[in-house]
Amino acid sequence: MGRIFDRPLTRQLIGLAVLLIVWQAAANAGWLNPLYMPSPVKIGAALYALFAGGTIWPHLAATFAAALGGLAIGVIVGVILGAAAAILPVIAELLEPVMILLNAVPRVVLAPLFVIWLGIGLASKVALSFLLVAVLIFFTVYTGIRQVDRKLVERVITLGGGRGTLLREVYMPSVTAWVLGNLKVAVGFAFTGAVVGEFVAATKGLGYLLSFAQSTYNAALMLALVLVIMVFVLLIFIASEWLEKRLTRWRG
Amino acid sequence: MLRVTDLALSYGATPVLEGVGMEVEDGEFVSLVGPSGSGKSTILRAIIGLQAPSAGKVELGVAKDKIGFLFQDDALLPWRRAAENVALGLRLRGMAKADALARAEEWLGRLGLHGFGARYPRELSGGQRKRVALAQVLALEPQLLLMDEPFSALDAITRARLSQDLLKLVEDHRLSVLLVTHDLEEALALSDNVYLLSRGPKARIAGQYPVPIPRPRDIIKARTHPEFGPLLERIWQNLSREVVGEPGKDEQWAGFSIGL
Repeated sequence: MGRIFDRPLTRQLIGLAVLLIVWQAAANAGWLNPLYMPSPVKIGAALYALFAGGTIWPHLAATFAAALGGLAIGVIVGVILGAAAAILPVIAELLEPVMILLNAVPRVVLAPLFVIWLGIGLASKVALSFLLVAVLIFFTVYTGIRQVDRKLVERVITLGGGRGTLLREVYMPSVTAWVLGNLKVAVGFAFTGAVVGEFVAATKGLGYLLSFAQSTYNAALMLALVLVIMVFVLLIFIASEWLEKRLTRWRG
Repeated sequence: MLRVTDLALSYGATPVLEGVGMEVEDGEFVSLVGPSGSGKSTILRAIIGLQAPSAGKVELGVAKDKIGFLFQDDALLPWRRAAENVALGLRLRGMAKADALARAEEWLGRLGLHGFGARYPRELSGGQRKRVALAQVLALEPQLLLMDEPFSALDAITRARLSQDLLKLVEDHRLSVLLVTHDLEEALALSDNVYLLSRGPKARIAGQYPVPIPRPRDIIKARTHPEFGPLLERIWQNLSREVVGEPGKDEQWAGFSIGL
């Protein structure tokens, strides 16, 4: 019996339970303004209503489509541009200032612009999510390739390897490892892009629901949505961690 | 097998080597000793073509693909298993994958790593990784072996055992070897001929010492040979003379080991 309490997870869950009980008790006692800080039970009810009525699904689907679409295109374009810049100095000269600029500003400021360019549909959300991911992956690949272990390169050359071998045996595995290492961050960025895009202007999506909850002063719905987003992003985190572990088993 | 004449080389405006000449006969084990940073590794890199000399000649008695190069670090591909690392050079020479892997396992076994082929480099000890790197080079059946302080990162016992195993393979296959090391004792125990490189910049060959200890050798017993001590002392004195009159340069010799 005592064993179970030795685990950090057990203690964390107990801590969470205590917090929820105190929170609920404070709400029941009337210490919290329900307009700002609804009780856990109210949030639970809002959460239940979202799923039981089935209203959440089209919104979840829209956010996931935007985030995963932006993530996929962002990774592909980021890898291609990063590799091109690392190989061709001309491309590096042209791209580096743009990327540094894009990296320096909070890229979400471009959200309203994308709405004007691409409309309030899915495209503007994919674009924002793509931009956030692509810049991150570009730097990952670009700096990664330039910092590839010279010793490995020379090793392969002295064994008789040419450019093709170097690409296959040294560069591709290195780049894959770096991109996978940043995948979790990229997933977070992709969802940020999608939700912020929806928040600015949309007819669907978790960000749209959030903005709706805000305009109707529905704090319970808002907190329920935050919870939904956290849970789903966490699930994708776990999936990308699994993928990273599987593909880079040599790292242990 | 290998002749270097009048080799000069600079990194940018800094001259590293000047007028370096040395020779490795067929089946001869030659060591090159010198202080850290004097340019020993640079000579090897120039021989293999990783660094372009500014003057001088490197004449090779073998084809480029019959030269094996063992680096100071065991630069194994971390994402490839031990056997795959060893098989890489064979695959690059056109051998089919299955044959290359079988040959790789054979060489790993010969170097005392039987059954370790499926491990990733991370799962091996420093000494084991060194053996994999050695198998990778020897599997290509080189005639000339160039080694850049290959055992410097290993502990004394691992180092002695690995040196002995390597020496046996070299003697059995009559390989020609050029070994770069800062360990004078190791150089004497292994070599037929020891070259001494002077302090840089503009390092040159400061001496050449034949080692009259018969083969096959045991690297521990070689140290008890009557010629070993006097020769060691002579080279050491010449090394010391190099340093005298160069105040502040003594730390360059800190990496030098001499058995007392």
